[in-house]
Amino acid sequence: MDQTSLAAKPLPRKVKTMNRMRVEEAIWAWAFIFPSVVGLMIFTIIPIFSTFILSAFSWDFLTPPEFIGIKNFQRLLTDTRLMTGFVVTATYVIAHVVLTALLGLILALAVTRKISNFLRSSLRAAYFFPVIVSTASVAIIWTYLYHQELGIINYYLGELGIQRIPWLNSSNWALWSVIIMSVWKSVGFNFVLFVAGLQNIPREYYEAAEIDGAGYWSQFFYITVPLLSPTVLFILIMGLIGSFQVFDAPYIMTTGGPGDATRTVGIFIYEHGLRFLRMGYASTIALVLFSIIMVLTILQFTFSKKWVVY
Amino acid sequence: MIAKTIKKIELLWFHYLLNLLLLIFAVFMVLPFVWMFSTSLRLPIESFTLPPQWIPQKVTFENYTRVFTLVPFFDFFWNSLFVASVTTAGQLLTCSLAAYSFARLHFPGKNFVFILLMSSLMVPGYMTIVPVFAIIRFLNLADTLWALIFPALTSAFGIFLLRQFFMTIPLDLEDAARIDGANPFQIYTHVMLPLGMPALSVLAIFTFNGNWNDFFRPLIFLKTWTKFTLPLGLVTLRGVEGTGSVSVVMAGVTLSVIPVLIIFLIAQRYLIEGITLTGLKG
Repeated sequence: MDQTSLAAKPLPRKVKTMNRMRVEEAIWAWAFIFPSVVGLMIFTIIPIFSTFILSAFSWDFLTPPEFIGIKNFQRLLTDTRLMTGFVVTATYVIAHVVLTALLGLILALAVTRKISNFLRSSLRAAYFFPVIVSTASVAIIWTYLYHQELGIINYYLGELGIQRIPWLNSSNWALWSVIIMSVWKSVGFNFVLFVAGLQNIPREYYEAAEIDGAGYWSQFFYITVPLLSPTVLFILIMGLIGSFQVFDAPYIMTTGGPGDATRTVGIFIYEHGLRFLRMGYASTIALVLFSIIMVLTILQFTFSKKWVVY
Repeated sequence: MIAKTIKKIELLWFHYLLNLLLLIFAVFMVLPFVWMFSTSLRLPIESFTLPPQWIPQKVTFENYTRVFTLVPFFDFFWNSLFVASVTTAGQLLTCSLAAYSFARLHFPGKNFVFILLMSSLMVPGYMTIVPVFAIIRFLNLADTLWALIFPALTSAFGIFLLRQFFMTIPLDLEDAARIDGANPFQIYTHVMLPLGMPALSVLAIFTFNGNWNDFFRPLIFLKTWTKFTLPLGLVTLRGVEGTGSVSVVMAGVTLSVIPVLIIFLIAQRYLIEGITLTGLKG
């Protein structure tokens, strides 16, 4: 329908020309996205660019920012405490991502059998509930469970003949204590994703394999693993992005201690930027952390082409 | 024949063993909460007695009343409820409007704006916290609940989630409404919102839960006790009580977990569907 043919006939009053309709639609559309655009501009997009700019400045919020070029980056490279922070964070990320993925997969495989619906939904509820409770609540609970003399974990370990472990009090154990707690808290999330991924694999594949005489393990490696690979990729990427930012659990359980044993990069950003008001330096650390996450995510996507089957 | 029966019995045995292991694991997942609740009911002197009394000998509810006298717990609760409700309502409105626009309407600059907004999906919160802190101070919102609310009134995640869902709604309904002379806003209220309910409830649960549980932003923006939200309030309660009485701290934690448990029991299905929806689409 073009405009000339429309204009040739006398139009009923209600029918609008295409042009006017298009303009009207655009006005509606812009009105609809306006609140979101304003909100995201002010609180996300402008701050992203500001972080880049701030990393070249020294700013304590009270006096005007002072341009210092790459001095923040130079300082970062020689900041040995921050470097241990990166090691702590990397340890946490690797342990957390690998353990939650493996444990979630094992549980999901164990549940995806012929079991009663009641058992299935009870198990799912138990595994998933910690996911939606606030980290603050569970971190406080676990701090007491971990107590060296009076905590019930050491009590039951003692009953089994194992010596008391100085969970949160020792720099060797503190990070692992935080990791165990956070794996407990978030394994249910991966479990739910894996169960959905497993249920999406058509039954017929397994039936056909059975007829061909394939055993459990060859079915697992030739059907389950490849068809589950997109779920694995999603879990690895989400896990990596999320756990690199870890803050709540170590901050609440140990405030980064003992020493710097659990002081993650997230805690460093908070302390430099918001406690000591070193806005420029905190922005620089944030920028470096973001770059690392970005590069690793891109690498994961690139390598995924070799092992993910769509 | 015999070999087959033996194999069957072996399989059955394995089946029950696996169920048992899964149940033991489930018990371990739940135990910390059981300990929390049972400790909250103990007399303060007995909160740390070993071996642990899973069923307290003397049940007391005094710890719960002490929570309210030690810290402004009612304020914490109300603040959390207020922030979580307002941000949820805000996101449902702003995200659904924007998502409808991106899913169905045509307008100049659509692709550019969409990509710009979605790029913020990949940016972690820490990346922007320093400038956001500055903006909040500049807007004079520091130490008010609005510091938590304003930045969370819309989200790229919500827009994306709803857009994906709106795109699956058949076009016919909309065309019919359009022929009847409905404008885009009427289509939004009469077609998109009712049909988008499953996705909207997923977004509502995610947003409410996320804001209810948030610890980082309240820690940064709030200074006055009476303005604290629950997670920050609980940490404060622990600071006030220290090791003095774990029972009181656990009473506070229990009070904060109960609403989550209620939401969980009501909306478990939506939550899990929501996670698998975003997981399989991602």
